[in-house]
Amino acid sequence: MLWQMAVRNLWRNWRRTLLTMSALVISVSLLILSLGVFSGMFADMLASATQQYHGHIVISKLGYQEQRQLHDTMQYDQHVIDQLQATSDVYGVSPRLRGFGLLSRDEQTEPAELLGIEPGRERQVTSLNEMIVAGVFPEETRGNWIVLGSGLADKLEVIPGDELVFVTQAADGSIGNDLLIVRGVFKSGDFNRDNSLALVSLAWLQQLLVLPEMLHEISLSINTPMEATPVAKQLAMQFPDTMEVIDWGRLLPEMQEAIASYDVSRLILVLILYAAAGLGVLNTFFMSVLERVREFGVLLAIGMKPSSIRNLVLLESLILGGLSLLVGSGSGVLLTVLLSGDGIDLSRWMTAVTYAGGTIPPRLRAELVADNLLIPCVTLLLVSLFAGYLPARRASRLRPIAALRGD
Amino acid sequence: MMELIQLRNVLKSYQAGVQQVDAVRGVNLQIKAGEFAALAGPSGSGKTTLLNLIGGLDQASAGQVIVEGCNLAECSSVELADFRLQRIGFIFQSFNLIPVLTARENAEFVLMLRKVPAEKRHARIDILFQQLGISGLEQRRPMELSGGQQQRVAVARAMAAEPAVVLADEPTANLDSETATDLLFLMQQLNREQGTTFLFSSHDPKVIGLADRVVNLKDGRIVE
Repeated sequence: MLWQMAVRNLWRNWRRTLLTMSALVISVSLLILSLGVFSGMFADMLASATQQYHGHIVISKLGYQEQRQLHDTMQYDQHVIDQLQATSDVYGVSPRLRGFGLLSRDEQTEPAELLGIEPGRERQVTSLNEMIVAGVFPEETRGNWIVLGSGLADKLEVIPGDELVFVTQAADGSIGNDLLIVRGVFKSGDFNRDNSLALVSLAWLQQLLVLPEMLHEISLSINTPMEATPVAKQLAMQFPDTMEVIDWGRLLPEMQEAIASYDVSRLILVLILYAAAGLGVLNTFFMSVLERVREFGVLLAIGMKPSSIRNLVLLESLILGGLSLLVGSGSGVLLTVLLSGDGIDLSRWMTAVTYAGGTIPPRLRAELVADNLLIPCVTLLLVSLFAGYLPARRASRLRPIAALRGD
Repeated sequence: MMELIQLRNVLKSYQAGVQQVDAVRGVNLQIKAGEFAALAGPSGSGKTTLLNLIGGLDQASAGQVIVEGCNLAECSSVELADFRLQRIGFIFQSFNLIPVLTARENAEFVLMLRKVPAEKRHARIDILFQQLGISGLEQRRPMELSGGQQQRVAVARAMAAEPAVVLADEPTANLDSETATDLLFLMQQLNREQGTTFLFSSHDPKVIGLADRVVNLKDGRIVE
C-alpha cells in the first residue's frame, strides 16, 4: 500500500513531479556525458603517450629509463619474448634498441632519436603504423629503411624514396654511419615526437651500434591499461633485480597526476551538479509535505506510525530518484555512445594540445566507463534519499492534533 | 456495563500568545461500553478538545484520561499511535479521506495497518459498504463522491477494525439535514447491531436528539 500511495502522491501533482524529474534527468545525463568526455580525453592522452611511443609497460635494465645509456642493454632472448607474449594480460611485445645521432641530407642535419623495432611486433604495441601520412609503414624486419616523424621530415626536406645518412657513436667507440632510405612519414600530433623520432629496423640498428642480439627495452601493450601497475608488479617477479619493469604511471608521472586530479575534479563536478539538483528535490518534497500536513494528521490519527509516514515520503523521493536515474542514465549512456568512436572533429576550431606527456587531439570524444555510470547513479540515489529525508523527518515529527488543524 | 472511558479532573490549557486559554476545565466523565452518547454545546465549549484527548490525539494538561484501562498520559507517541490503531475509530467533520486512495482503500486502510489479510478485509468492507448504502462506489476516489458518500466511507473506515469506541467530531456539520439524519441513523444502527460505543459532538439539536445520552458542555465544563 505504501508503494501505491507513494506513486499516486507523486502523480497527483504530475507537473511538479515531471519538472523535478527533468532537472534530475538532465543532471544525470549531462554528468554521465561530461564524465565520459573527460574519460575520452584522458584515454586519448594516455593512448597518445603509450600507443605512440612507450607502450603500457617497459622492461629494461635497472636505470636505463632515467639515463638512457647506450651500454645498458639486455640480451635478445626469444624465449623471454614468447613467454611475455603468452601472458594473459599482455596484448603485444616489442623488443627495441635505441640510438641517438645525427640525420643528414645534403646540407640539412638534424639530431634524432632512432628506435630500432621489428615492425610486426611494434604495431601490436604502438599505433605509429596507423599515423603514416606519406609512404608506408615497412613490414621487413631487416634492411636500411627509416620512417620519420613529420616535423623531422620537413626539416630534412625528405619524402619517401629519399636517402639519408645517420651518424652515431657505436658501442665499441667507433663512429657508425650508414645510408637509410625513407619509406614513410608519420604524424602523431605530438610536437616533440614528430620533430625528433625516427623508426628503423632493429637488426640494422643492432649492426650499426655494434650491439648484436642486444636490446635496450621490451615494450608491452596490455589489455587493460588502467591495470598496468599490478600487471607490471606481477611481471617483475619473473626478472632479476638488475632489471626493472615500469608501468606507464612511472614512465609518465605527470600523466598519472593528471588522471588522479581528474578523479578529484570528477567528484567536484558530481557535487556541484547534484547540489543544485538536490535542492530542487528538497524544495519539491518540502512543498509536497507542507501541502499534505492535514493528510498526515489524518494518517497519524487513524493509527499510522510516524515511522511509516517518514517511509512514505522517503519512498516517494526514492521512486522519483529511481525513475530519473533510469531515464537520465539511459539518455546519458546514449549521448556517450553517440560521442564515442571517432567523436566530433574539432580540428577546424582548435589544434592538438600536448599536456602531461600526452596529446589531446582536436575532437570531442566520449568513452563509456563503468565508474562514470556508477558514480552518478549511486550519488543520485543518495541525493534523492537525503533530499527526501529532511521533509520525511518533518512529516514524521508532526503532532497529530496540530497536523489536523493544518499547522 | 463496564466503563470504557474515564476522565478524572481533566484540564487542557493552550497558550495563545501571552494568554492562557483553558479549553477543558476539570472535566469528570464516564462513558460505558456500547453507549451512543453526544457531547453538546456551542462552539468553543470544549467538545473537540475532549474528543481529541479521549482519542489520544492530544494530551491533558492535568488529570487522567483512561480508555479501556489505559492511562493515555503514560503512553509514548508510538504507543498512542498503536492505541488509536487498535482501539479508536475517528470520524471527522470534513471527512478527511485520503485523496489518492479509492473508497475501498480508504475504508480498508486501518485494516491494512493492522495487517489483516486481504480476503478478510474485503469481506468486512463489503458488509460495511452494504450497511452504509454505498455498495458500488468502492473504486471511486473521494473527489468523485458527494459529501454524504464521503462521510459514509469515513464511517466505514472508523468501523472497519471494530474499535472499542468511535469518536466523531461534528460528523454531520458539512452535510445537509436529510443526509445528516440518515448518517446518524446509520451510526445508531451500527451501535445497536455491533455494540460499538459512539461518542460524537454536535451543536445541532436534531442530531443531539438521536443520542441515548447527552453530555452538555459550556466553557470547558460539563453542565447539567
